Amino acid sequence: MTAIAPSSALGTPRSAQTNRIWNVVRLHFTNTWVIIQTPAIILALIFAVNYAIWSVLDVSISMEPGEAVDGTQWSGAASFVFVYMSVVAAQAITVTFPFALGYSVTRREYYLGTSLLFVLVSAGYAVVMTILAAIEEATNGWGRGGHMFTAVYFGEEGGLARLFVFFAMFLFFFFSGAAISTIYMRWRMYGMIAFWTVLGIALIGLVALVTYTRSWPVVGEWFATNGASGVAAWLLVPTVVSAVTGYLVLRRATPKN
Amino acid sequence: MTAATNSPAGPIVRVSGLIKRFGSFSAVDDVSFALEPDRIYGLLGRNGAGKTTLMQLLTAQQFATAGSIEVFGESPVENPGVLRRVCFVKESQKYPEDWRVKHVFASAPWFFDNWDADLAERLIADFRLPLNRAIKKVSRGQLSAIGVVVGLASRAPLTFFDEPYLGLDAVARQIFYDRLLEDFAKHPRTVVLSTHLIDEVSALLEHVLVIDDGRILIDQDAEEVRSSAVTVVGGRAAVDAFVAGREVLHRDGLGGLASVTVAALGDADRRDALDAGLELAPVSLQQLIVRRTNTTEKEFEQTS
Repeated sequence: MTAIAPSSALGTPRSAQTNRIWNVVRLHFTNTWVIIQTPAIILALIFAVNYAIWSVLDVSISMEPGEAVDGTQWSGAASFVFVYMSVVAAQAITVTFPFALGYSVTRREYYLGTSLLFVLVSAGYAVVMTILAAIEEATNGWGRGGHMFTAVYFGEEGGLARLFVFFAMFLFFFFSGAAISTIYMRWRMYGMIAFWTVLGIALIGLVALVTYTRSWPVVGEWFATNGASGVAAWLLVPTVVSAVTGYLVLRRATPKN
Repeated sequence: MTAATNSPAGPIVRVSGLIKRFGSFSAVDDVSFALEPDRIYGLLGRNGAGKTTLMQLLTAQQFATAGSIEVFGESPVENPGVLRRVCFVKESQKYPEDWRVKHVFASAPWFFDNWDADLAERLIADFRLPLNRAIKKVSRGQLSAIGVVVGLASRAPLTFFDEPYLGLDAVARQIFYDRLLEDFAKHPRTVVLSTHLIDEVSALLEHVLVIDDGRILIDQDAEEVRSSAVTVVGGRAAVDAFVAGREVLHRDGLGGLASVTVAALGDADRRDALDAGLELAPVSLQQLIVRRTNTTEKEFEQTS
């Protein structure tokens, strides 16, 4: 597989090569709706619905103001964005990969450009969500005591830690979604069946292992001691594994006819 | 790296012993040929003959099972130096779902060094392409036209057109024909037209590669192919007498008239035919290829 590494006598200057990688990023941004407008609009809608619920809760339950809404710190409302980005990543591979090959882009250029896109978008969204979390904190949950961007999973260690958690989570969802998609590009349906079967068995096995060894308290403790940013740091391991796997799988993938 | 002898006179594509199998099916079966620079090639064959697979192999979209491919003296696989000089818009090219037509022409220039924006603009007007229409809503003909515009405006030294005529109306076909020749005269490059609609492109072609069942059947100068056979038309008895003992490629008849296609005639033979009151008509490339790819054996049986 290393024999593929191009040492071209036709000479493509390094600058031209980086240029082509950057052009792949631009290719993904040709139409920004999928990556920017659509998720932003959906996020805004989810926020509006949540805000309405907080308001209703606050009025209808007779407790201290804001107390009833306290449970929303376990809100999963913002998790939509992460899953959405996983789907965007998967679609990016199935749609723009065959298209980029049509533009005479190599698989390497395509993958590096797409990875760069993932990192940039992850950083951008992490910043935006961190800012929203800060506002949420400053306004005591948008004046309603609600939690959407300050849910407990995102950590309670302040702005920078939260930025890191968001960033790591976005990276994980992008690269894992993309890696699964490369398996589809390479082996189609068989690849999918094999992948999900193996993943399912592995997860069930893991749960069984933890259960039979009565290790759930240890697992809980691990999450507690690591904290949100510690867990996010560990999340980088499967992220890097996904990124490398995606690259190796895509290196030999072919577009459908 | 093999010695990258890319002398301007040598072929820019060299293929030898190329095999591509999908499971037990051989899409490309031991194919060897070369493409010279600055010529217009026809890659002709029936649906499923292996045309698209062959082009995907040349552009490194597919990987060969065996054999060697050299494009500009090097393997095209993951080779940006080669691929950036190649343009191949597949007939079945998938575009991103959410794109409009204009997005194609906005992004294509980033990937083709010689992109000519003026030419693209002119072609878009010629083909009346609706720039703001969603790409999944354009017609088959417009999709072909998009491919044609990218192929022409990219001015890649090696350009593949995959079924460029699919769904194009007569006016659009003429535009493609005119613009290709016009631009080719100013900016010579190697063009490969892949199609099963042979008569539509035959006037453009300088060289013909006919592929059938994954194998190259004909690799010949277009003029040579055309002059390799002739149709003899006249009264049945006179025609039969004339073609007796000759290699008959095809036979048609209506009432007392017969029309028989035979291998090329020498000057003496032509005079004989004319003296016998027979007419000699040229054979179209399409007819010739249809006969050579499909019905040769049957026709031989009929004559014996």
